[in-house]
Amino acid sequence: MLKRLLREPLAHFIILALAIFSVYGLLNRGGAQAPDRIIVTAPKIEQLTAIFGKTWQRPPTAEEFKGLVDDYVKEEIYVREALALGLDKDDAVIRRRLSLKMGFMNDSIVDAQTPTSGELDAYLKAHPTVFEIEPMLAFQQVFLNPDQHGDKTGQDAASILKTLATNPATDPTMLGDVSLLPVELPLTGKSSIGQTFGTDFAEALDKATLGQWTGPVTSSFGLHLIKLSERRPGRLPALNEVRDDVVREWANDKRKEFEERRLEELLKRYAVVIEYPAKTSAIR
Amino acid sequence: MRSSAFRSILLSATILGLAAPAFADDDIGALSPEKAAKVFAAKPIYSPYAGRNFPTRPFFGDTHLHTGASFDAGAFGARLTPRDAYRFARGEEITASSGQPAKLSRPLDFLVVTDHSDNMGMFPDLFAGKPEVIADPQAKTWYDMIKSGQGGDAAIQIIQAFSAGTIPKSMMYGPETRPYKNAWQDTIKAAEEYNDPGRFTAVIGYEWTSNTAGNNLHRNVIFRDNGDKADQIVPYTTLKPLGSDNPRDLWKWMQAYEDKTGGSVLAIAHNGNLSNGRMFPLIESFTNKPVDKEYVEQRAKWERLYEATQTKGDGETHPTLSPNDEFANFERWDFGNLDGSVAKTPDMLEFEYARSALRNGLKLEAELGTNPYKFGMVGSSDAHTGLSALEEENFFGKTTPQEPSPERMLSTFFTNPKTKIKVMDWQVSASGYAAVWATENTREALWDAMQRKETYGTTGPRVVVRFFGGWDFEQADAETRNPGAIGYAKGVPMGGDLTAAPEGKVPTFLVAALKDPIGANLDRYQIVKGWLDDKDQTHEQVYDVAWGGDRKLGADGKLPSVGSTVDVENATWKNTIGASELIAVWKDPAFDPKQKAFYYGRVIEIPTPRWTAYDAKRFGTKPLEGTQMTVTERAYTSPIWYTP
Repeated sequence: MLKRLLREPLAHFIILALAIFSVYGLLNRGGAQAPDRIIVTAPKIEQLTAIFGKTWQRPPTAEEFKGLVDDYVKEEIYVREALALGLDKDDAVIRRRLSLKMGFMNDSIVDAQTPTSGELDAYLKAHPTVFEIEPMLAFQQVFLNPDQHGDKTGQDAASILKTLATNPATDPTMLGDVSLLPVELPLTGKSSIGQTFGTDFAEALDKATLGQWTGPVTSSFGLHLIKLSERRPGRLPALNEVRDDVVREWANDKRKEFEERRLEELLKRYAVVIEYPAKTSAIR
Repeated sequence: MRSSAFRSILLSATILGLAAPAFADDDIGALSPEKAAKVFAAKPIYSPYAGRNFPTRPFFGDTHLHTGASFDAGAFGARLTPRDAYRFARGEEITASSGQPAKLSRPLDFLVVTDHSDNMGMFPDLFAGKPEVIADPQAKTWYDMIKSGQGGDAAIQIIQAFSAGTIPKSMMYGPETRPYKNAWQDTIKAAEEYNDPGRFTAVIGYEWTSNTAGNNLHRNVIFRDNGDKADQIVPYTTLKPLGSDNPRDLWKWMQAYEDKTGGSVLAIAHNGNLSNGRMFPLIESFTNKPVDKEYVEQRAKWERLYEATQTKGDGETHPTLSPNDEFANFERWDFGNLDGSVAKTPDMLEFEYARSALRNGLKLEAELGTNPYKFGMVGSSDAHTGLSALEEENFFGKTTPQEPSPERMLSTFFTNPKTKIKVMDWQVSASGYAAVWATENTREALWDAMQRKETYGTTGPRVVVRFFGGWDFEQADAETRNPGAIGYAKGVPMGGDLTAAPEGKVPTFLVAALKDPIGANLDRYQIVKGWLDDKDQTHEQVYDVAWGGDRKLGADGKLPSVGSTVDVENATWKNTIGASELIAVWKDPAFDPKQKAFYYGRVIEIPTPRWTAYDAKRFGTKPLEGTQMTVTERAYTSPIWYTP
């Protein structure tokens, strides 16, 4: 009976299959059957507790510590399973994050560099407009609101100007119309003046003769008589005045330069084929 | 009251006659310099800047901006970094993530980059010269190359080594041992680089994004401190076990930060309109119990400001809550919660909007002794583009796909098939900015002004708004050259308190507004009053206080509309209506000294083209039906509270 059975092809098949499976099982010790190992290493624990400490400004309690480790284990399992299932593929967030991390590698390289004073000075001189200190202006102004004067606004401005010109002791802050606009400003950057009065006003002020009532100058609020009391012209600062700014701009340029060079280098290893759809309105 | 805006104006001759008889027209010729010196010697020198210790101009900025470091911004395609965001805000031209050049009409004074604390991420710090890395000869060679200025070459070699798999072991450590820095440290570093006290302030901050079940309880955390303190901590997140979605836990974290570092932080909540009734609770959603003493005290302590307007809708009030307020229906986002998973029901509204919260705050104060909703107002962007560009004619959208394009006003922002909630991109609001009355443009001064709530929010324009409350303001105070000086001398500024009304006195307010120098005229200045009556019921009333043009209050007490000069087709308007400035003194006509109350200012601009009108004009896009094409921009001041 047994001999007959052994001659049966089906039996041969079963025996062979058992043999194969047992060899496979032996070769894959710790494989499908044995559990995957998750080792929470001492440095990992240090990292988890360090982050907790940085969040709460104290070490975790025993219970909190267990929560941290349990959570890490859960995350590790999920991540492994997700990777096995390919859930990382075509995930916009993951792709962008990886791309962002490549950018951070550039930052590390730039951060590690210390430019010399010579390099910085050359950079400063090569980019004067970036570091230029803008003109500073101090002035007084008398405001005329067209809502109050109507057609006579220009005429009234001229008459106030005459008063101011002929009587130097006149208190200009008592002339013109009430307004939230400041009647005088101490030395102030030109662009800041432009932000309050409008850039046209700031330009006109910058061109005004020092120490003399002139105008009227037009702004979006109305007419202004102006007296420039002090002008500190714009200038290119020395390196020691703006060193931090120059380092920052220099580093920005370096970062951009690395970024471009790196992409250039990486592109060499890729053949990029773009298969445009035959007909689409979206691509012009 | 008719526009007291300009009633005051005195012509030069009159002033000369009143102020200095020696200058009377007929006497001009006779005045000698000696005489003049004598006349003026006794008079204090008039300089508003001598010895001043109050803020003379507001600083404009954004307390809520995301960059590519926020996971959702990154997913939407934002590539700009915190550095780019600061550069753009200080006025530089940069390239937006969509590839087009972007520049502000004028720089902002400050910016807080507030990336989401969740998923902020850790980044390998491979080349910082850590001993364990440069122990390897190859790594050392690269490190030396970098140090000697050959960083570019080193970078290329490192990249090649990475791809060839020949990177030294010391640089391939497992994640536990590789030197790491997190995105937070990079954010701090960017802020430190761009902080330029006096000119441009780069404030450190982050967003804590509690969003359980799609209900928006987000808060931005704003630091007063520099990197040396902020770097000692990591931002609080929302996920257990480290974080929590309950604001009470955020407040504990803030306390721990202050205790440990000696630093200072405050929180600004936003988008109550997407919280489905949870932002300003009477019943806490986490426990289903009424808010208690601890809740109201902690909230009042940490949540000093509320972001009352931003890209995802306006949060001042809602037409259902304020049926008599004709300006209440503004940039409304009342579909449901943040992910559109639960549709809005009217009972939720009361717990979502700033004005109703201010009202309920009075009620809670009567019950529990502290007003948890005693917040000031700001506006900010919540843009996820790294670009704080909120002007209608220079709007760079909320997310990168919403940066300018012919299609952007036709697309769907998000849709939830289950609830049928659908929000179109044209509904995104080009709003807003925070204005801060700080004594100077520094981290400390800006934060201190936020802490004392001396702030207001605008929906984009840089309107200058003053709001002072006191017992003794009179008409003449609206006729002076420097309302700021009088305001501080005789009253308290926005965010302040009035207590214990003197016998027979009523609250008086000195209000003033100046239009944006490149913006539209002002329609009106309103005061919104809320109060708690003897029966524990709250009420609200909107008063027109100052306005432009020759209009008179109607029999119903309402001011007629200012009209409109908007040419939608050409996306233009004219400043032929309204006024460039408004100033007035207002007395509460219905004051009861026994009732708690709050007052805040609301300034409304004349109608102007909305960003959609500029898009339609510039791109030739035909708007979808129902697209809002005009806007009445506005500003909301922090309230002044009266407590008996």
